[in-house]
Amino acid sequence: MKNSIKVERAKKNITQADLATLAKVSRQTINAMELGKYVPSTVLSLRLAQIFEVEVSEIFILEYSDWD
Amino acid sequence: MKLNYLFPNNYKKIGWLILIPSAIIGFITLILELEPNSLNFNVPTIFIDELLGDKHFFGIVNDNILNEILGTLIVLSSLLVAFSKEVSEDEYISKIRLESLVWAVYFNYAILLISFVFIFDLAFLWVMIFNMFTILLFFIIRFNWQISKLKKVAHYEE
Repeated sequence: MKNSIKVERAKKNITQADLATLAKVSRQTINAMELGKYVPSTVLSLRLAQIFEVEVSEIFILEYSDWD
Repeated sequence: MKLNYLFPNNYKKIGWLILIPSAIIGFITLILELEPNSLNFNVPTIFIDELLGDKHFFGIVNDNILNEILGTLIVLSSLLVAFSKEVSEDEYISKIRLESLVWAVYFNYAILLISFVFIFDLAFLWVMIFNMFTILLFFIIRFNWQISKLKKVAHYEE
């Protein structure tokens, strides 16, 4: 699964730490998500969508490999 | 998500403060086989298997309680160290926690199985004594190692 957290973050001009505070998670979690090492829960995905004021599907993109 | 069976973050420090001295004293006690007379007591027991005697349930035995005290302190403090929340406990930390726990159970049983097959009689008693603590110990090492790796990586980014 790909995500555009880093892009959305750039648009909003906020740091990983800022986003972490807004989403009520640690900075490491934001970092791990941006690196594709961690797939967030539905709740966290919805929080991110609300923070970025976009739909969840605009941040997270399903790939063919996600069906395996 | 609210119920996670973890202690508050500040319990971790208390855990370490008890664990380190009890582990050191416990290890010395075990190696030197210390049994101070002042700690010999008649204590209630659930199961008795007397040397050259019979086996029965419930009774009173005379026992040196130093090892019981230290063992209890080590187990309880290890639980605090292992299962206190991180400062920023979130879903990603929970995932690492779970993975470390699974890893620790596998690792512990791998060592226990090898010891079970290749260590015999009274020597195996040593294995059982250490095995009381190793599963928590392996978890603590693995989990904290993963967390520290995470913090290092996060410093590079941004």
